[in-house]
Amino acid sequence: MADSNAPKPSSSVKLVLLGEAAVGKSSLVLRFVNNDFQENKEPTIGAAFLTQKCNLPSRTIKFEIWDTAGQERFASLAPMYYRNAQAALVVYDLTKPTSLVKARHWVAELQRQASPGIVIALVGNKLDLTNDGESGRGDGDSEGVEGEDPGDARKVSTEEAKSYAEEESLLFFETSAKTGYNVTDVFTAIANAIPETSLKSTRGPGASNVASRAGDEQRVNLNGPREAAKEGCAC
Amino acid sequence: MFNISSFVQKAQSAAQQLIDPMQGLNLTNSDRNPSKASLFQSQFRLPSSQTPLFEIPAELTIPPSNVTHGGKDHDRGWHYAGRLHLSESYLCFSTTPSSFAHTASTSTSSAFAGQTHGAGPSGNGFTFPLCAIRRVERLNSQNFQFSLAITTWNGIAQEQAKDKTALKDRKDFREQRITIQLAGSRQACERFCDGLKKGLRGAVGSVGRLKRVIAECYSEYLLRPEEKKNAASPDAGLGVVFKYPGDPKKLRDRAKMRLWAEYLRDNGRNATLIRQPTFHKLIRVGLPNRLRGEMWELTSGSFYLRLETPTLYTDTLDKFMGQESLAIDEIEKDLNRSLPEYPGFQSEEGINRLRRVLTAYSWINPDVGYCQAMNIVVAALLIYMSEAQAFFLLSALCDRLVPGYYSSTMYGTLLDQKVFESLVEKTMPILWEHLVKSDVQLSVVSLPWFLSLYINSMPLVFAFRVLDVFFVEGPKVLFQVGLAILRINGEELLDAADDGAFISVLKSYFSRLDESAHPKSENPKLRAINRFQELMVVAFKEFSAITHSTIQDLRLKNKDAVLNNIENFAKRTAIRNLGPESKVLSPEELGALYDRFYGVLYERQQRDHIVQEEQRRRAKASKTRASEAFPGHHDHGVEKGRVGLGPSTSLMDYDAFREFLASVSKWAISDAPPPSPRRDPSDRSPYFGSFRRSDINPLSPWGNGPEPADHEFMQRLFRKWDVTNSSSLTLQNVVTGLAKIKGGRDIMGTITYFFELYDDDEDGKVDREGILRVSEALLFLSRRGLEGTLSNSNSTAMLNGMTESDSASLSPPIGGSVNERFLGSVSAFIRRCFEYADPDNLGNQDEAVQVTNPDTPIIPKGDPSIDNSTFAIGDDEDEEDEEDILALDSPLSQPNTAAKQLDLEPIPPAIGKQAEITGQRAVSKAQSEKANIALDPSNPLHITLPTFRMVVLADELLEQFFESSFPTSLHITDGLPNTTSSSSLTTFSSLNFSRPATLSPPGAQPGLAGAGRGLRGVLDNIVTDASRVAAEVRRRMEEAQRELEKNALPGQRDEDEEDEEDIQGPAKSTSAYGGDAERRSVLSSDRDLLDGADAGAGATKEDDGSSQSLLGINSDQEGRVDRVSSATQRIVEFES
Repeated sequence: MADSNAPKPSSSVKLVLLGEAAVGKSSLVLRFVNNDFQENKEPTIGAAFLTQKCNLPSRTIKFEIWDTAGQERFASLAPMYYRNAQAALVVYDLTKPTSLVKARHWVAELQRQASPGIVIALVGNKLDLTNDGESGRGDGDSEGVEGEDPGDARKVSTEEAKSYAEEESLLFFETSAKTGYNVTDVFTAIANAIPETSLKSTRGPGASNVASRAGDEQRVNLNGPREAAKEGCAC
Repeated sequence: MFNISSFVQKAQSAAQQLIDPMQGLNLTNSDRNPSKASLFQSQFRLPSSQTPLFEIPAELTIPPSNVTHGGKDHDRGWHYAGRLHLSESYLCFSTTPSSFAHTASTSTSSAFAGQTHGAGPSGNGFTFPLCAIRRVERLNSQNFQFSLAITTWNGIAQEQAKDKTALKDRKDFREQRITIQLAGSRQACERFCDGLKKGLRGAVGSVGRLKRVIAECYSEYLLRPEEKKNAASPDAGLGVVFKYPGDPKKLRDRAKMRLWAEYLRDNGRNATLIRQPTFHKLIRVGLPNRLRGEMWELTSGSFYLRLETPTLYTDTLDKFMGQESLAIDEIEKDLNRSLPEYPGFQSEEGINRLRRVLTAYSWINPDVGYCQAMNIVVAALLIYMSEAQAFFLLSALCDRLVPGYYSSTMYGTLLDQKVFESLVEKTMPILWEHLVKSDVQLSVVSLPWFLSLYINSMPLVFAFRVLDVFFVEGPKVLFQVGLAILRINGEELLDAADDGAFISVLKSYFSRLDESAHPKSENPKLRAINRFQELMVVAFKEFSAITHSTIQDLRLKNKDAVLNNIENFAKRTAIRNLGPESKVLSPEELGALYDRFYGVLYERQQRDHIVQEEQRRRAKASKTRASEAFPGHHDHGVEKGRVGLGPSTSLMDYDAFREFLASVSKWAISDAPPPSPRRDPSDRSPYFGSFRRSDINPLSPWGNGPEPADHEFMQRLFRKWDVTNSSSLTLQNVVTGLAKIKGGRDIMGTITYFFELYDDDEDGKVDREGILRVSEALLFLSRRGLEGTLSNSNSTAMLNGMTESDSASLSPPIGGSVNERFLGSVSAFIRRCFEYADPDNLGNQDEAVQVTNPDTPIIPKGDPSIDNSTFAIGDDEDEEDEEDILALDSPLSQPNTAAKQLDLEPIPPAIGKQAEITGQRAVSKAQSEKANIALDPSNPLHITLPTFRMVVLADELLEQFFESSFPTSLHITDGLPNTTSSSSLTTFSSLNFSRPATLSPPGAQPGLAGAGRGLRGVLDNIVTDASRVAAEVRRRMEEAQRELEKNALPGQRDEDEEDEEDIQGPAKSTSAYGGDAERRSVLSSDRDLLDGADAGAGATKEDDGSSQSLLGINSDQEGRVDRVSSATQRIVEFES
């Protein structure tokens, strides 16, 4: 998504990530936005906000990504974040059946409470922990990642999740934020699925100004970079 | 019994709550009008065990030798006027003019909640545990004033190390001695002194505990004479091993340490510390690393919690060792991702400490359990303090400082976001308008600030500076800092038009906090001020008007809206997440069910609370003079718990279940007259061993609602719904249970359901006992009349060719008549059940299955042995119906109906006539024999589901009962139209019966006085019949059984009771659990960590000049109000 200078129509899409704690929501976003992976990511408190552009043949989509906290009790905050969202990633962990149950709850919640016409993608993450992770590495952008986990930890079958996704007409993907497998595909598929009519052009000039000042493609984390700080005050 | 064990658990956990969780909250009525005790505790950060007993205006004099800074008063020492307060185990002095006397007004009681000028609510003064006071002498003074000299155990740990006389000579050991002049009437002074004397006497035993607790304070080590420093130092957190964040040089850690050492030497340490203005100034400039933990502990008050139960942390870990919980799973997920960049948390040691503290807290406060962000906060605490210290500080945080932040609904967090938003709206209207216009949600940005106490937002060194002040001043600091952040970045934020831009402005601000705030200034001093210092100045100067009471007021104002929001969300989610079974109920029904479920639970909780208050009040009144000092002090208003406040209860025990049923169905309301105001304390529910709180409650145990019945049927229903055998129902259980009854509206389903209720061993058979119980239940359910659509025409009930007649289609015109007929139906039901029952003994089957045509009239044999047990109840429902109608039509036909009575020994007056009719209405001989067999306990028998179904369907009324009446009798949505217990209507009372029928417990033998008195008598007899049939059969069975087995088995019911007692056994033993907890030092495992640690901490190496200049910056700024010229005039002075 390098050439963003093409004069294609650009529109912003608000996307929210939902799912059980520690399924890899933030890691998916980090992979998508920075093509990076951190083994021990701090849990998201409240929510993190990031942006990333996605170039389609006909237009450019700027994702405004709301990455939410996964713990059950943060659920009551979720409406604040999925308000006006045009797309949602509901993530579960392929190695944890309970996380799919939680994902179903989120799908139901979104279908009832979120804006009508919201595009929902169901994403099974941590494919690298399964045997399919091996084959997954063959294609896509995940080449060269060495597998170190030979055991198959998969607990949710592709068929089960897929048939559920079809039932509810959701986009469906299995990904690995660690290897990067399928991650960009999810966002591209969402970008393609957003109906043309629901796209509005990027909000006012002010927004783009500030955005470019802050560096468009950067992860904007609510967690300040504490390591960057220097000390030495004695006020 | 159902609820005893859970009750015990609740009591246990309640006892383990360190601080009343509501205490710091501004959420209840009691906070609108908070108790003096809770205000007192808030001001001095004391545990909830402390109540203000005495108070008196006083003047504190600190002698010159103790004074840090000599001033004009140098020769006379330092004087503070204020108030001296005495509680059960604390003596507190504060310059803040707050009063907690019962005569004090709300505003004086909450004076500490106003502006505190940097000193925090407790102001200048001290908070001495009574056990830290060594001696109190009354000084001779002129004017007959009371003057007390207080000598403390300051440095007690050090003192014990060597013999006292040797140490006394040392110049660095000074006995701490202060004088206090009481300024009250002589009487008041004497009262106060008496109270103090008593308190001191009581505290003598706690000196040992104090020693142990302060041994963990770094100050003890710091002030130790140089030559004794080789001893291991107390655990000052992971930072000792893994280095504290930030560059100690830049933080001027040594200089700070030196200043602190001086202050502590002069003003006492830990338990005996005296707060003077220098103390608060020293905190404002940032605490030195090694003392940070201890000062946090002292200023937050968690030190006093630790002093109260020093071993709670280790005890809790020991007690729950090896146990699992949901919270533990959640904790495990986050252990590796808590401050992962700090080296201490890349090590096993750090991770293990974090695990232990979070786990221990999740056990003592299961309502909170574990919330993400706690891991970050605790990880930060552990850098500076020991595990036990962090554990108690976490308690103080969750319960008092940021109440509700980490609760399962996070209502505190959401509420404070609303409060913050309204503060922004008030103080920065232009920015607020901009936010609204550009649709930016402020809380998206600010929520993590509050939830992680800025630890996650700012660089750690700065976040800890915020925490330093936060622990002294309380939650208002979070708001002040937040507002200051927005104010400083105001202009840039006004340019930001969406969430993303808004967030990036703040993000970049946080990353540049260490840069100069005025890089272009000519003045080098001004240039030296960094952005963080600027932030602090703006926060505490410009927003100094934001006080504790500002926050409290706004919390109160927004509370309802926030809770409603949460509750709507919770309800929506809960209902949606109910399994697929729930879908047979309508959304309205589910919603109403949800409301009722929690309504009952919270109402009960509230009543419980009142009862406990009452108990406590009585206990207190009988005990101490405390109540003399503050009569009627316990004015806590009790507010009903709310879903939004967290799942304090989500399980319904049996008593609650009864109450729930009584709110939706007539039959579940007790027949007993409203209980007399005072009951015998030993009064217990006859079975189920349910504990009735009524005993001590002056109010009705059931609140305003009617008293629920306690029928065996309800117990069965409860057990049936309680699929997990946990003696409690979840909302899911209740919904599933009701869905089965109300959902399908399919008669076969309901019949099956009913059958299964009584099929105890699930073998598809219901035995004799069960049949009787079913019939009792039918009577129980119908005794207030039947509901639902009851067809008035008696259609033909044809089943298996056994009943072929069609009944009279004349229908009784009034409802009562239907109900009368139903009684007949139940009688018929019993008879038929026995008629068609299968014997358990297969050999007898042929005989038993033999069914004679019930229409064949045969006069019963005169054999008395049979006679007594023969069912003479109308054998044919058609005839019976006719009889019924006759009976209703004319009182003259009464004898006919009376025939339905069982021909039993205690023959009522009407029995003579009855005999005639019995003759007319013949029972086949075979049938009699069969009935005889049926009643013979040596021939056990049972009915199967098909038989049961057949018998039910054989009777139109019964059929209708199962089809519609029973399901409709549960009014989920509309509730009961009229539920006052006094007017609890029974069929009989509606028919003007003088005496309500007592149907249960079935052991009772209702009199037959009503017989032979017209319609009433008829009805009465019918009712009596059925219960007597049941009672008699049971009696016989018992007799027989007794004969059979020498070891007399008590009835079924007694067995039940025994079972319940069995359950009770283990429950009791668990309640004793934890009594003999092992006591061991928390630090034992950590000490070795400290070996070789920097022993020179606190040593004064640098010249004094530099350390003074530290404060110099500060005082420099003081006089420089005008020099700082920023457009917003942010920098005025740092601290006045």
